[in-house]
Amino acid sequence: MNVIQDNDVFSSNGGIQIYMARLYSELPIEDFRYSPARGLNMFWIISPFSAVTGEALSRDQRNAVTESVLYWGDAYKLIRETNYFIETLPKYAANFDKADVSNWIGEAYFIRAFTYFSLAKRYGGVPVVNSVLQYPTDDVKGLDVPRSSEEKTYDFIAADLDSAISKMGAASQTGRANKYAAAAFKSRAMLYAGSIAKYNQVSLFDDSHNRLCGIPATKAVTYFKAAYDAALLTDGKYSLYKKAWAAGNKEAQYQNYVKLFFDAQSPENILIKGYIYPQSVHGYDAYNVPLQCMGPNGYSSEISPTLDFVEMFDGFPKNADGTFQNLDAGGKYIYYDNTMSPFANAEPRLRATVILPGDVFKGQSIEIRRGIYTGSTAGGISPLIPAGSTIQYPTANIVQSANGSQTAFTLPNGTKMNPAGTSGTFFSEETNAQTGFSIRKYLDETLDKSQVKENYEDQSWIEIRYAEVLLNRAEAAYELYAAGQTGVNYLQDTYTDINQIRERAGADLLAGAAALNDIKIIRNERRKELGFENKTWWDLKRWRTIDKEQNNVLYRVLMPFYVAENGKYFFDVRKDEKNRFYTFDPKWYYEQIPTDEITKSKSLKQNPGY
Amino acid sequence: MTCKLKKMKKLFYYAAFIVVTVSMSCSKLDNYPAPGATLTGSVIDAGLKSTVQTETGGGGTRVKLEEVSWSDNPTPLYFYSMQDGGFNNTKLFAGTNKVSVEGAFVPLVQYDANGTIVADKRQTVQLGNGATNIEFSVEPFLRVEWMSNPVLNADSTITVQVKFTRGTNNPGFQNDVSDVFLYLNTVPYVGNNNYDNRYSRQVSYSGTGGNVLLGQTITLTTTGKLPPKRSYWLRAGARTTYGLKQYNYTDIKTIAVP
Repeated sequence: MNVIQDNDVFSSNGGIQIYMARLYSELPIEDFRYSPARGLNMFWIISPFSAVTGEALSRDQRNAVTESVLYWGDAYKLIRETNYFIETLPKYAANFDKADVSNWIGEAYFIRAFTYFSLAKRYGGVPVVNSVLQYPTDDVKGLDVPRSSEEKTYDFIAADLDSAISKMGAASQTGRANKYAAAAFKSRAMLYAGSIAKYNQVSLFDDSHNRLCGIPATKAVTYFKAAYDAALLTDGKYSLYKKAWAAGNKEAQYQNYVKLFFDAQSPENILIKGYIYPQSVHGYDAYNVPLQCMGPNGYSSEISPTLDFVEMFDGFPKNADGTFQNLDAGGKYIYYDNTMSPFANAEPRLRATVILPGDVFKGQSIEIRRGIYTGSTAGGISPLIPAGSTIQYPTANIVQSANGSQTAFTLPNGTKMNPAGTSGTFFSEETNAQTGFSIRKYLDETLDKSQVKENYEDQSWIEIRYAEVLLNRAEAAYELYAAGQTGVNYLQDTYTDINQIRERAGADLLAGAAALNDIKIIRNERRKELGFENKTWWDLKRWRTIDKEQNNVLYRVLMPFYVAENGKYFFDVRKDEKNRFYTFDPKWYYEQIPTDEITKSKSLKQNPGY
Repeated sequence: MTCKLKKMKKLFYYAAFIVVTVSMSCSKLDNYPAPGATLTGSVIDAGLKSTVQTETGGGGTRVKLEEVSWSDNPTPLYFYSMQDGGFNNTKLFAGTNKVSVEGAFVPLVQYDANGTIVADKRQTVQLGNGATNIEFSVEPFLRVEWMSNPVLNADSTITVQVKFTRGTNNPGFQNDVSDVFLYLNTVPYVGNNNYDNRYSRQVSYSGTGGNVLLGQTITLTTTGKLPPKRSYWLRAGARTTYGLKQYNYTDIKTIAVP
């Protein structure tokens, strides 16, 4: 029936390579080609994931959503392929080196675990199929596998990863997993399971007493311990990327953080997904460069980081509550020489993650300005609009631009200046830095402007890097400490992990372990380090905090204004004026199982609220 | 040449024949009777004996039908309640159904930690041709009541007074009160699913902060400046952190802004 038979595939290393290439290509990695609106492996990424989490605002993703393309059928296709591989390869083992066979079987276990985790983080407990189901068959009932409990699903993932760790070798081809990648991934999966046991409030049972949604709280410690132990396995095998890093040198630390995403030899990379032009490409730069770097086919500026995200970082003037300080003690705007002045000492990691107004990218200053203040400066300038207001700026004393075709304003000294910057911010048109910031992370600085087009980019996606493992370890350790676990000094461990991350980032270090008095410190570190890497939404979900954070919320933006009279800048902090309210519906903690799957099956139970 | 043309003509006829046959086979008459059963009813607050106010759609009360005439484990059919807590579906098939409702009230079906059903207030109903009426007596998580009529202020905002209290004495369902929301809309359909976010006011509480306000009169004022010469519809909602965190509501009041 098949043109290519098992004999052909399982007889040579080349055949196995091809089988593996297919499995990896189907691996559900949420990379440059993923968005919740359009699913996996889609070239057109104009509804960025980061505009769902509060990390950014985007013109094409304007509210909180859950995934609209539901990952289910493709998962079971891939699971079947791994099951087939695990069952078939041993029959042809005589063709290969024994160690190779073990390694490949281990890889198949890793891929199966990765796929099941992608299901579990969406749906909770799912049907666990661990062998090749035969069809056509007389036993149709046997094909209708009911959901396992969420706990058993995570236990199955853990068992598969343990098999992967024990069967795989220490080294692997780039883009493929080895035993340490499996261990790193296990630390992620178990951290999720522990968080759900501890924080989830939703419960769903089937008629056979399986808890399909939710894990007993008593299991939290077991899973956090498993996450911690798995993270320890990678200790000494990988390290944070510091090739261009220098102590006390913020510029070097900034360059180092930029390079971390582009160095193929980075000791921090644990599992990457490679791209190569022209066979396998994406369009990350075309969609996301600042407006003034726009390529020949348009787009640009899809991701405008929010001020809420930027304020998590260190190195600029802040009020007592941690917000950006733009007013003096008298309630008047503080003047700055240029838009980068407040960020002169910004944390290097922030500059490498977000293009700040006026910072240099591709050899040019990225000009971001909202408008020109033309009124008098006598006695200082009071806030343009009341605090917290969503109204538009008044037209008196302010010139602004609706879009990129601007009419220059003549300054008192006779020179002309466009009201808004070349990269924004315009009050009507939205293809520009709408928040006062533009995205920097993962943008290829060496890509020529003529090449900034869709389907021209081929930088690798780093799915697992060592920084995440350290953060998994820190969080698991802190949860164990909070649960009163002893034996290891978990608090001290958390402290060293976090400070390693902060040191490399160029951020302010924790003064001591005692400064770790709130889990938010560890969580915020994770949000900063892994920002815009498509992990944050899942984190906010497993912490069960996103429905409180996104409860009818408007995110905040930073608007730089030039003052015509004195040639200085001031910054207005305001709520997004485009009515982009975010509300996370609590039922999204467990996503909807595709309704056609529910209709097809007699035993599949839908999640609550759908 | 002619030969080739003839062949093509033949092919065309074959193709046309297939298309016609295939499309004919689709037009089989559906000779089953149309669904003729009607289910009406309401969700009643066990204490107040009034209907439990809700919103329409996914965030509100819904009716769950499990048709057990032919299977013990059927795929459930759901339909949504109206915002006043009543429901009505005129296009159901006759048959035996286990009927229940889900919403911002103590669940009709409760499980213990092992997944054993410890309470089951589903009602088995024989749906026949014609209407069947059914009532569910439930304990809402919160009762939200008006304490005054809405008042139009000089600054074009509206102030109301409301009160929320527990609707159940069961401590397992007395979760923390997380927020109270004054919804405003320009049509009589208003709630968390349908409101004007430029003028509606939400007050959130953290931890047990909202619980101390139980039974107290709370004053809420809309945000922004309401445009004049039209009517507005208002409603207050409050919720607890239980499960899907759905809102309990007051009924709807309207006010004309001159």
